[in-house]
Amino acid sequence: MFMFRSRRRLPVILAVVTALVLVAVLAGCGTSGSTASSVPSQITIGTLYAQSGAFATASMGEYQGLQFWANQVNKNGGVLVKAYNKKIPVKIIAYNDNSDTATAGNLYNQLITQNKVNMLVADFGSVLTSVAVPIAKEHKVLLYDPTGTGASFFTPDNPYLVLTSLPSSGIWPTSLANFLLEKKIGKIAVVYASNDFDQSQAKTLKSILAGGGVTPVYYQAVPTSTKNYGVILSDIAAKKPDAVIEFGYDTNDIAFLQGIRNGGYKFNMVFTVFPGQQLALIDKAVGNAGVAYTYSYPTPPLFGYNNVNYGLGLNAFVKTYEAANNVKNVNFLNIAGYTAGLVIQKSLENAASLKAKDLRAAVNTFSGSMNTLDGAFKIDPATGAQEGELLPVAQFQPSGGTLKPVIVYPANLATGKAVYPAP
Amino acid sequence: MNLPGAQKGWSPDMLEFSLIAGILFGLFFALVGMGLNLVFGVMRIVNLAHGDFMMLGAFGAFWAYNLLGWNPLVTIPVQGLAFVLAGMALYYLLVPRLVALKDFEMISLVLFFGLSQTIEALAVLAFGNNPRSIFQPVFGQAPVHFLGRTFPVAWPVSAAVSLFFLILVYFYLYRTRAGYATRAVMASRDEASASGVNVDRISALTFGLGLLLASVAGMLSLFMLGSVSPDFGGNITITAFAVIVFGGLGDPVGTVLGGLLYGIGLMVMESYLSSWANILPYVLLLATLLVKPGGIMGKEVRHV
Amino acid sequence: MFRKPLDLGLVVLIPVLFALAPLAYNNQLLLFNAMVFLALAQGINIIYGFTGYLPFGYVGFFGAGAYGASLTVMFLHLPAPVAVLLGGLTALALGLVLSPLLRLSGVYFAIASLAASEAVYYVIANPGLVNITKGPYGVSLDRVYSPEFSYLVMAVIVGLVTAVVVYLKRSHLGLSLKAVRDDPLSSETAGIDVKRQRMLAWSWSALFAGLTGAVFAWQISVFYPGTVFDPSISIFAIVFTLFGGAGTVLGPILGTVVLYGVYNLIGITEPQYFQLIYGVLIMVLVLFLPEGIVSLLKRGGANVL
Repeated sequence: MFMFRSRRRLPVILAVVTALVLVAVLAGCGTSGSTASSVPSQITIGTLYAQSGAFATASMGEYQGLQFWANQVNKNGGVLVKAYNKKIPVKIIAYNDNSDTATAGNLYNQLITQNKVNMLVADFGSVLTSVAVPIAKEHKVLLYDPTGTGASFFTPDNPYLVLTSLPSSGIWPTSLANFLLEKKIGKIAVVYASNDFDQSQAKTLKSILAGGGVTPVYYQAVPTSTKNYGVILSDIAAKKPDAVIEFGYDTNDIAFLQGIRNGGYKFNMVFTVFPGQQLALIDKAVGNAGVAYTYSYPTPPLFGYNNVNYGLGLNAFVKTYEAANNVKNVNFLNIAGYTAGLVIQKSLENAASLKAKDLRAAVNTFSGSMNTLDGAFKIDPATGAQEGELLPVAQFQPSGGTLKPVIVYPANLATGKAVYPAP
Repeated sequence: MNLPGAQKGWSPDMLEFSLIAGILFGLFFALVGMGLNLVFGVMRIVNLAHGDFMMLGAFGAFWAYNLLGWNPLVTIPVQGLAFVLAGMALYYLLVPRLVALKDFEMISLVLFFGLSQTIEALAVLAFGNNPRSIFQPVFGQAPVHFLGRTFPVAWPVSAAVSLFFLILVYFYLYRTRAGYATRAVMASRDEASASGVNVDRISALTFGLGLLLASVAGMLSLFMLGSVSPDFGGNITITAFAVIVFGGLGDPVGTVLGGLLYGIGLMVMESYLSSWANILPYVLLLATLLVKPGGIMGKEVRHV
Repeated sequence: MFRKPLDLGLVVLIPVLFALAPLAYNNQLLLFNAMVFLALAQGINIIYGFTGYLPFGYVGFFGAGAYGASLTVMFLHLPAPVAVLLGGLTALALGLVLSPLLRLSGVYFAIASLAASEAVYYVIANPGLVNITKGPYGVSLDRVYSPEFSYLVMAVIVGLVTAVVVYLKRSHLGLSLKAVRDDPLSSETAGIDVKRQRMLAWSWSALFAGLTGAVFAWQISVFYPGTVFDPSISIFAIVFTLFGGAGTVLGPILGTVVLYGVYNLIGITEPQYFQLIYGVLIMVLVLFLPEGIVSLLKRGGANVL
């Protein structure tokens, strides 16, 4: 507080400071927001994306998938909204959080309180979704969550959350564990990055293996920031395992596969998470030879579900998406963003009103009967957690200079046989 | 070994591997610290942007490899020269102004902190945020077998490059006239100035040399640390500082010793206590400053 | 202690303004975060403005407070306001543990404090301690989630930290601290207990960062260790303090209001330029305007508190 020589100015100065505070804070935000008339001119969907930071690559892919969905429906005049029994265009309001949770919190709040969006779509992954969960619950706005699979989000007392695309990470390794048991692979090494996405997978794997009487010969957490697995690989090799399973984020998987290649290690089976989602990225970083004969969870577009009854099928999606965005290499995250859009679309077609509770109730009505290119959409009606599709296991087998994902488990999806042990 | 996260089982095999890997990494960490320590020794400035210059060196090597197809070993001299010139320019731009100020050690620290933030932000805008790495086969395909253990070929190559530059620094300091003057400035700026040493020129040269070493260490980080992204600088600066404080501030020989001990300590921890290995540089730095602030063989830094 | 009515006015006015602001503008989390940075900037001000010791690792206390409060809620099942208090005390205790750092000279202190905050972060985030801290998997406090109540508590903390800075500015303690900052050797000979004074400023500073971190945890309720130990939190608070002017009451307030306002103005659309702006700002300020923008007001003839 600054005082000029005359004390009588004090009230003026206080007023100036007050105004300064308010102006700066208000200016910081701008105001928009749709007025609620009887029939809204558009359905507003708030979301965030990360243009930079740790999650940038994945987040942008997912955001582009959602945008693609919005453009598709708007071309046809919008989404059929049951509450008004007419087609209404959708509008995506999106801000950039740069992978920062504090910024993301401000922005989710901004979308709800200033832009007054009808619904939220979370940014990629558990970290950026975590801040949205309590905010959406507090403001009673339904949060559609494409990829934030953290188990702690899904509780029966939170009716404002729906996981749209991936099942929660805890059930991912089910097929993998059964594959290992069926193949009677007994010496298994598990290394995982310590975050809830990877830890939940490691735990599940360990417990299913225990059910089959198998205890890993090596079971170790490493920091998610690990970029060099040299020493860890040397230790793993000393245990002479048949299968080496690494759960990590994409950077971990790249470093791990590079470490195997550079150290000249040979294992009968190597499994990592992200080649199944971002094959092009991993392949570029590690090289064909580094990925060949390794295993992963394949996700569309590496394989397709052919019972699609809602939205585009895989081939149509790839073709339309590539033409619309002028890109090659559709990846799983584009599909995840698109699928979130489809779930929103179907909720609007079924909900009695735009209120979050009605939207959420509508989701329960079609859960289990909706099949998209991402597989069956089926959620736990109480928590909103996705349990639709068990992720299969695929091996990347070289064929004609490229890598072909061959699904090796479970039998009903299999497209080929595993080459085991890897040559 | 009761700490949570400790590896079960203790095999002498693993210890042997850790020791050898530790020496290879130790030479690399000595190089990481050396540039920082020379600058500190001559100017009493902690260059908080040291890690960011390493990051720039790594990106330089990455782009030279990807766009021009240059082997990183070829990039070293070309890029090194550019860094020496940039360092000298930066010196004349910033440092003489600083030295005149009253609280110059503190101000220069904050200034270089700002520089570090600026470089990182520019790198994000220019390169994006993805971590970058170079295929190790650039140094040859096969892993190296030594004493019955397998090492990625890039480790001994990086250690050899580090050793080469450490020896070069030794020759510069102890066998050349400029190096002799540099050591005189390190011992006492005033006395060196009084005995006719051009302190400004020596300082500028040292700053350039510091950046050169940073660029080489940054290039090697692509192989030793896995990959490099624009936010790489902060932590590696602290690691470098831990190494040189441990070895003794302003003491080049101590830095080599500090680097080696740090490298061995890190590898042993990665083998036996891997989830705690991250914490090593910070604890080492705190413990040294508080318990033996002169480092294992240095002088006092406390006051009041 | 408050010699001028203005002092008291300031201490009361700011929290009241913030408490009422949500009526005019309803992005309450943004207002809350503005208070968080205001409190942190004043906390930095207490230690840097009055002793010249700049803690790069100030966020360590913030994170310690957040975890102190969270563990209180999770294990002791105490009400949130008590947890906030214990969070503050956790940070204070950490401050006492780290007090030997004050023996170091300014440069080493700055870097050592950064190392200390990273060390605390890696301990808390360590998967080996998952049963105590939940390791890297994050904390959930949804049982006590209450954005309104925590917002008001934060406003009170802003008032308290402002009061402490006003007190320091007005009191003998503040004067002697500044004497120590400007010339430690001769102040010691003049009979000032340098160590004790520094210790006091350090403790206040740690306590407020801890309280702020604790309320932050309460407000957001779900967070990962990386969220509350993010080094950019320290950087923001340092920039706000330097920009406004350290060693004054008004400086950090102006710095936070202006820079955080601008941050959100531009930040909502183009946040990627912020690190660049702050980096350049630090360099320009330290070289050309080391006393911050309040020094411009001083030059303009105003009597700045």
